[in-house]
Amino acid sequence: MRIAGVALLVALAGLSTGCAATAVKPWDRDLLAKKQMRLIHQPMLNAVDDHVYFSKEGSTGGMDAGGGGCGCN
Amino acid sequence: MQLAGPPRTSSVRSRLRVAACLLLASGVPVLAHADGAPINTLDVTTLLYGEKDRARVIEPNVRVTRIYPDGQSFSGQLGIDVITGASPSGALPSGSVQTTTTPSGNRTSSEQGATPLTSFQDLRVSFDGDWTRPFLRAFTSTLGLRVSREKDYRSVGANAKLSVDLMNKLTILTGGLGFNHDQVDPVGGTHGGLGDGTVIPGRGVNPKEVHTAVLGVSRIITRRWIMAVNGSRTSEGGYLTDPYKVISLMDGESGLTVGQVTEQRPSTRVRKDILTTAAYHLEEDVIHASYRYYWDDWGVKSSTADVKYRSEVDPDAHVYVEPHLRYYTQTPADFFTFGFVQGAALPAYATSDYRLGPLRSVTLGATVGFELSGYPGEWTVRAEYIRQYGDASKANVTGVQKQFELFPAVNIGTVVIGYSLDF
Repeated sequence: MRIAGVALLVALAGLSTGCAATAVKPWDRDLLAKKQMRLIHQPMLNAVDDHVYFSKEGSTGGMDAGGGGCGCN
Repeated sequence: MQLAGPPRTSSVRSRLRVAACLLLASGVPVLAHADGAPINTLDVTTLLYGEKDRARVIEPNVRVTRIYPDGQSFSGQLGIDVITGASPSGALPSGSVQTTTTPSGNRTSSEQGATPLTSFQDLRVSFDGDWTRPFLRAFTSTLGLRVSREKDYRSVGANAKLSVDLMNKLTILTGGLGFNHDQVDPVGGTHGGLGDGTVIPGRGVNPKEVHTAVLGVSRIITRRWIMAVNGSRTSEGGYLTDPYKVISLMDGESGLTVGQVTEQRPSTRVRKDILTTAAYHLEEDVIHASYRYYWDDWGVKSSTADVKYRSEVDPDAHVYVEPHLRYYTQTPADFFTFGFVQGAALPAYATSDYRLGPLRSVTLGATVGFELSGYPGEWTVRAEYIRQYGDASKANVTGVQKQFELFPAVNIGTVVIGYSLDF
């Protein structure tokens, strides 16, 4: 799985240095400022989903650093 | 002459005005009321979960967030799970009506050819608290505390995240660490693995520790497109066995079940995943898409693709519909087995828990969001159907077991009712 690790590093470097993007000025971020444009735009529903899938599947993971906390799996 | 202003300046001012109006109208949490007082947000959800002929769950959650004018926020969430019903014990169909007693003392019965189930009930109470604080203009820290308790499981955990804004907030780098100390206290006592269920005398609660590290970056790509890449590594150690799952012993010729042993999993597990997420704004609607690749040292590899399409039915009245499609597939753990032939040498680790088997899952559903005229707050109602299924064509079974459906599909329905209010 070293390939996946390398892919993550490349993606992190690419996104953080902006190689794929032109600068979007602050006054052009009207659409991005909408609640529905947040990457987790429904955090409560997202948390419910995480709990359901954690208890019903063999894998988990994502954007949170929480981890553990349930005897359901 | 210059007082008339060049077109560019006028355009910039116009755009800033539009952006400010949209920010205020879009529901993005403002930092304070007009009088400078903190703003509070109440979020309530209730999950109704039901598996056909199996488990049922009711899970209400209440979260209160208080945001101060300087951007600092505190939030607390209380959740309760009421769980009843039955889940697969891990045993194979017996070929006749079968009644057995599980390690926890529950009696299990099953019809001929049916997957044996174990009945259970539990109540889980959880509390999460978070403190988020921006500092030095570009940094944001979040500290969190998690506590939960159920009949046979207790957990306490903490996590910390640090984000830094780069390039005028075009890019946000985030790093986080999490730690959980859990205690597993099986009903009826802790049994020895791959045995007949005999409880180990004097064995107290079983500790389990979980360490998580997260690293990610989000990036504004265009005026309409934002995306993120996150990687996480989770290390688990301690008691990772499911104390209520068993593995059948079958006759080598007939395939009839002649006994069972308790399952046994390794005491360590290292999980890793990469998650990419993106949101794209069309003319009015928004598409959310994500893909996660996961792998661990138990041999489980999984792919998860998820797409949501938010369609603004009536933007003025804040009415939207959001269909959701999710597909999940995983490879089985190295030590997954459908059963053992009686008399064969047992491996060091084994489980028949279908959640560690060759599992696939499809989710199809939709969320409707709306506001009630004359009443504050936003409502959401979501209904989803989840189907879990697997491939037992290569199952290591004999005789009559080859006639049975060893990986029956699980049909799940969920409804979530949500309410959100700023006050």
